[in-house]
Amino acid sequence: MAGVENTGEAGATGGQEGPEASDGAYECNICLDQARDAVVSMCGHLFCWPCLHTWLETRRNNQVCPVCKAAISRDKVIPLYGRNSSNKDPRNQLPPRPPGQRTEPENQGTTFGGVNFGDTNFHMSFGIGAFPLGFFASTLNFGGERLNPHAGLQPGQQFHADDQMLSKLFLGLGIFCVIWILLA
Amino acid sequence: MFEQQTSGDKGISAFPDGDNLFSWVATISGAANTVYEGIEFKLRMEFSNNYPFSAPTVRFTSPCFHPNVDQQGNICLDILKEKWSASYDVRALLLSIQSLLGEPNNSSPLNVQAADLWSDQSRFRQSVLERCSSCVRQS
Ligand SMILES: [Zn+2]
Ligand SMILES: [Zn+2]
Repeated sequence: MAGVENTGEAGATGGQEGPEASDGAYECNICLDQARDAVVSMCGHLFCWPCLHTWLETRRNNQVCPVCKAAISRDKVIPLYGRNSSNKDPRNQLPPRPPGQRTEPENQGTTFGGVNFGDTNFHMSFGIGAFPLGFFASTLNFGGERLNPHAGLQPGQQFHADDQMLSKLFLGLGIFCVIWILLA
Repeated sequence: MFEQQTSGDKGISAFPDGDNLFSWVATISGAANTVYEGIEFKLRMEFSNNYPFSAPTVRFTSPCFHPNVDQQGNICLDILKEKWSASYDVRALLLSIQSLLGEPNNSSPLNVQAADLWSDQSRFRQSVLERCSSCVRQS
């Protein structure tokens, strides 16, 4: 009922493209009323959370922004918290808005878990791959030619054997160094 | 206050049919420089309880000779079906139908005769007028 009434009013005031567009700057793009429990999509469009939730529920396999058709999802909308807005009516049997997403500021490689799985993976693989060579190159100054990772690169068995030998060598030297450091 | 008299938009209007807010009567005037220029069509829009999450049912009640409108006035328009969006209001819908009038989709017509005749614009206009002489607006 309310939706139909509001449609009439929005038509009378000109809607989004009308000359009085600034009137509707904080209106929900679905019910055209002032947005309550407001959320904004990544594409910047404002909705009531109950309105957007209903829309997403009716389009489970085609979740797009009603305004611009950009991809949209429950996890990628941002709730807007105005002053006093949280004191308002408890949400009547509707799912609560998704929580705000806080991304911790970057810190060196200690962000295990949390949201940034991509970053974490990057740090981990980088660390494991680069550690042995860096260790030897800087600590021991061991014969540059043989330990240069590019020097021994040959296709097939040869490379495989070289590689295995090298890693055994690294492992042995690494253990040696650790013991050496511990004893020193 | 429900009446939609859009001063900025030429040629569309819509208002609830009496006390029933779920059934609206609308008018669309053909745009200038189209075969529908100077012709005003009446439409009926039925809203379900689910509006705006599902599209209203929109039908021409005036006879409308058009490739994408059938004899009963049903309209074949994607935004009334799978492309419906909850952000469309009555105005956006009527403007879309108005532009459909001048730019039919002739590849999947509901009215094959109209689609075939579209290439001959003067004869097409004649057919439009024959079917709804009362639609011509006095200007
Ligand atoms: Zn809303
Ligand atoms: Zn959007």
